[in-house]
Amino acid sequence: MGVNNTIVRLTARSMLGGRRLYLLAGLAALLLALALLLRLFADVSATDSAEFIQAVSLGTLLPLFGLIVGTGTIGPEIDDGSVVYLLAKPVSRHVIVRSKLAVAVTTTVTFAAVPTFLAGLIMVGDRAGIALAYGIGALVAGIVYSALFLLLAVATRHAVIFGLVYALIWESLVGTFVPGARTLSVQQWALSVAESIASPGVITADVSLGVALTLAAVVFVAATWYAGERLRVLTLAGDD
Amino acid sequence: MQPPSDPSSASSSASSSASSSGLSSGPSPTGVIHDIGYRGYDGPRLGRRAVARALFVHSLRGVFGIGRSAKSKVLPVGLSVIMCVPALVLAVVTVIGAGRGLLDDVPLDYSHYAMVLQAALAIFLATQAPQTVSLDLRFNTLPLYVSRPLERPDYVVAKYAAMTLGVFLLLAVPLLIMYVGALFAELPAGDETAEVAAALVGAAIYALVLSGLALLIASLTSRRGFGVAGIITTLVMTYAVATALQGVVGIDNDDAVTAGWLGLISPMTLVDGVQVWALGTDPATPAGPASDATGITFVLVTLAVVVGCLGLLVARYRKVRL
Amino acid sequence: MSIITTDELTKRYPGVTALDRLTVSIEPGVVGLVGANGAGKSTLLKILLGLNDATSGQATMLGLDVAAEGPQIRGRVGYMPEHDCLPADVSATEFVVHMARMSGLPSSAARERTADTLRHVGLYEERYRPIGGYSTGMRQRVKLAQALVHDPELVLLDEPTNGLDPAGRDEMLALIRRVHTDFGISVLVTSHLLGELERICDHVVVIDAGVLLRSSSTADFTRATQQLAVEVTAEADAVARTLTEAGLKVGRDANLLLVELAGDATYDVVRDAVAQLGQGLVRLEPRRHRIAEVFEGGARDAAAV
Repeated sequence: MGVNNTIVRLTARSMLGGRRLYLLAGLAALLLALALLLRLFADVSATDSAEFIQAVSLGTLLPLFGLIVGTGTIGPEIDDGSVVYLLAKPVSRHVIVRSKLAVAVTTTVTFAAVPTFLAGLIMVGDRAGIALAYGIGALVAGIVYSALFLLLAVATRHAVIFGLVYALIWESLVGTFVPGARTLSVQQWALSVAESIASPGVITADVSLGVALTLAAVVFVAATWYAGERLRVLTLAGDD
Repeated sequence: MQPPSDPSSASSSASSSASSSGLSSGPSPTGVIHDIGYRGYDGPRLGRRAVARALFVHSLRGVFGIGRSAKSKVLPVGLSVIMCVPALVLAVVTVIGAGRGLLDDVPLDYSHYAMVLQAALAIFLATQAPQTVSLDLRFNTLPLYVSRPLERPDYVVAKYAAMTLGVFLLLAVPLLIMYVGALFAELPAGDETAEVAAALVGAAIYALVLSGLALLIASLTSRRGFGVAGIITTLVMTYAVATALQGVVGIDNDDAVTAGWLGLISPMTLVDGVQVWALGTDPATPAGPASDATGITFVLVTLAVVVGCLGLLVARYRKVRL
Repeated sequence: MSIITTDELTKRYPGVTALDRLTVSIEPGVVGLVGANGAGKSTLLKILLGLNDATSGQATMLGLDVAAEGPQIRGRVGYMPEHDCLPADVSATEFVVHMARMSGLPSSAARERTADTLRHVGLYEERYRPIGGYSTGMRQRVKLAQALVHDPELVLLDEPTNGLDPAGRDEMLALIRRVHTDFGISVLVTSHLLGELERICDHVVVIDAGVLLRSSSTADFTRATQQLAVEVTAEADAVARTLTEAGLKVGRDANLLLVELAGDATYDVVRDAVAQLGQGLVRLEPRRHRIAEVFEGGARDAAAV
């Protein structure tokens, strides 16, 4: 059930080295800056703040983050073929996946979930438990997105593209126009968790908490396991 | 010292000199393949312009996946279809609705189409812009281009033009579909023509601005995945932030002026602002530019973005180490 | 009548000088540019093609100045880079046709010449498959094809035998030789393998750390020395002693005895000495210089130029 510390260390170093760190930190700073600006210069009610955070953080930042981080932990290695060095070591494929996932989840939590919580605090203080609610919601979304996109990165070379199609078209368009599809939306699960923490009536989700938590947990575990299986049979064929 | 006296090379040079006039080297047993040796080329050699044009056409075909493997056709063709289907549906609805007297105008403003379908548009840009420029960087093909009569700025302009035309087509065809529907529905032709013309101009501006940004971001990395992620992140985040802010400021705070200025933040809202102010369309955002000063700023910023992207692209390709 | 000349050509990077006041003049034919890795060969090619700017100095190709008249030159020159430069998702035919169009050929001429050129470099049915699946040898051929397709007057080939097995290397070298003898195109080919260039080049330019060591014809480099190489089946020391006693100067090079020629009689002396000792004579041949010697006694050979 463990992780390999070396892999964790190496993945962390490549994930947070140079440009990517600036991108992640920049996005987090952007969120905080916006929250600050609105708090200082606009008159925002609790409901407005909730909508804002939901739209920008849960709806946009989290999926993108999960995509960038989830695929970034293993995508580049598969892309340039250096993953063979990793696969040649006597380390269980599942341990590899778990180690990389640990880095992905930690990064997402640090740069997306915590700033979401802070943004909520900035905008509304601790009114109606909004900040904590969205913080935890972002946490849940971040964890599930990381696992999903890591699996995608292992399963296909076009992970980023499929991930985008999912995040943009499925989560927003289909989720809005096809009510049934909302049950299968990570965003809705996160909202459900947030709804349960905030004061009643502030946040509305369309999926019940029990269903949301169950689906989130199942997807997380299944994606992690399947990623390990796919890694076992990974073939490095020529190029596109 | 002599070069290796290879019997086969001696005989092939003998036969090629005998057949240098281009005739076949005698009847071979199978009578099918004749080795006619090397022929020089003294036909026309086209200059920079023609070569740049050839690159433009080649890149445009690549934007839509024409002439490439089936896999690279899926996304551009699929997205083009996704862009057109709603227009088709709207056209049909217009015809039926007008026929029954339920509608007296198209259900969706022409100039709003791009905004409504921006997800598909964004994915198209995010996948096709890297395809246009990142591949040459990743496979290091650039030296082969630069060691030919093509100059580096020509390369950039050809690629930019191809991407722009591609995005314009992507936006213009649905607009024309809706327009044809409106004509069939016998809506006032003058009004419809004016509106679709304005929307087509808007589509051209969208194409210029979005292509510039997408190509610039894509050219910064040789990894296609990063280019895709970068473009999508930029387009989607800026749009989400701009509209969310506009919503809070404009609607909840009732400050339409500031909300109008906020449209400068994202390329989609920027171009829509130009459409609203310069072409007189209705805003597709929570708040369009409220005053002439704002409107002029929008136009200037748009110009600056286009020129800036082009300039930065040229500079980037001048600097790239080969 | 030189096709390439340089005059005090210098290229400095922070911390390293890639080319140091290189002055050389290259005649039409097959010319080899030889040097160790990092000697400045690729840098020189890139400056000649305008891919890079020189820090100082001039260079001309086909009589035109490289810095000022680059575009005119580039239509008449072909380039085969050392590094990988082929996209993986297109076929050889498509790629070479595209490159031909980029060199200024009209569309139908581009297709015809691509078909011809691919046949000349030895790519047949493979040309329709995506380049991603090619072996190294096939890729090198595609690279060569795109350099030749527009019928240039001169081609610059950077390490064309890189990554090829010995058979592939021989084929590529033969192909390069044909480019000059059959196609009539002058060739400048670089390599760090000194021996192979001896076989196909008319003229060799040797550079080391950006400095010209020597530039002369291959015949000049490999002219016969005044030595005989003698190899015997056994008892080389005894043979050496006998020859020394007969008044000849004898040196050693691993198994070979190097005997200074002192006239035609030397051959007979060697034969008799070996027979007298009852040994077998494996080899008796005039020793030729090798290009590698330029690096050993640089100053000495520079004086000989």
